[in-house]
Amino acid sequence: MANLDAIIKENAENTERITQNTQGYVISNNLHGTIATSTYDNTISMGIIKLLCGTLVDTARSAVRDLDCTNDLTFLRVATKKCEYLIAPEEEFTIVVVQ
Amino acid sequence: MSQEVEETLKRIQAHKGVVGTIVVNNEGIPVKSTLDNTTTVQYAGLMSQLADKARSVVRDLDPSNDMTFLRVRSKKHEIMVAPDKDFILIVIQNPTD
Repeated sequence: MANLDAIIKENAENTERITQNTQGYVISNNLHGTIATSTYDNTISMGIIKLLCGTLVDTARSAVRDLDCTNDLTFLRVATKKCEYLIAPEEEFTIVVVQ
Repeated sequence: MSQEVEETLKRIQAHKGVVGTIVVNNEGIPVKSTLDNTTTVQYAGLMSQLADKARSVVRDLDPSNDMTFLRVRSKKHEIMVAPDKDFILIVIQNPTD
């Protein structure tokens, strides 16, 4: 946990640069299912974590593995009428950027 | 109309790195495919399920929003899903090609 916080702090400058043209982002802590950092309020962040990082990533990953058990999900993009969700699932954390 | 569809599919299939294209109707039945039967059925089932899930997630987050496109990147390939009213189009591409 402290490790993840440290990494986020370390990359703050980069994050700042690449999120200039985005609506916002959420980083979830997958070990605890909590918000590591977010530009949204608590309710929206938890919604994103539960639905996108939880339900959707799990479904996508199991679909990818069903098709080829040696394969694995690396990235997920969901375009919608209003925005696009970019989801990068890692082992300990998941990054969701909304643009 | 049907000729337009054929041409579009041909154009997509000719694209570099494209492994296959599948058109699935809204009952989850593949109606057109460039892949073999088993693979087609498997992709059609899983991807239409995933697209439904993605759509419901997007609507849960914002009921006035709707999904337009879905891209699933994996270690070996990338699957793109474009859902429409009556059909969904699935394109599988190999990004390393």
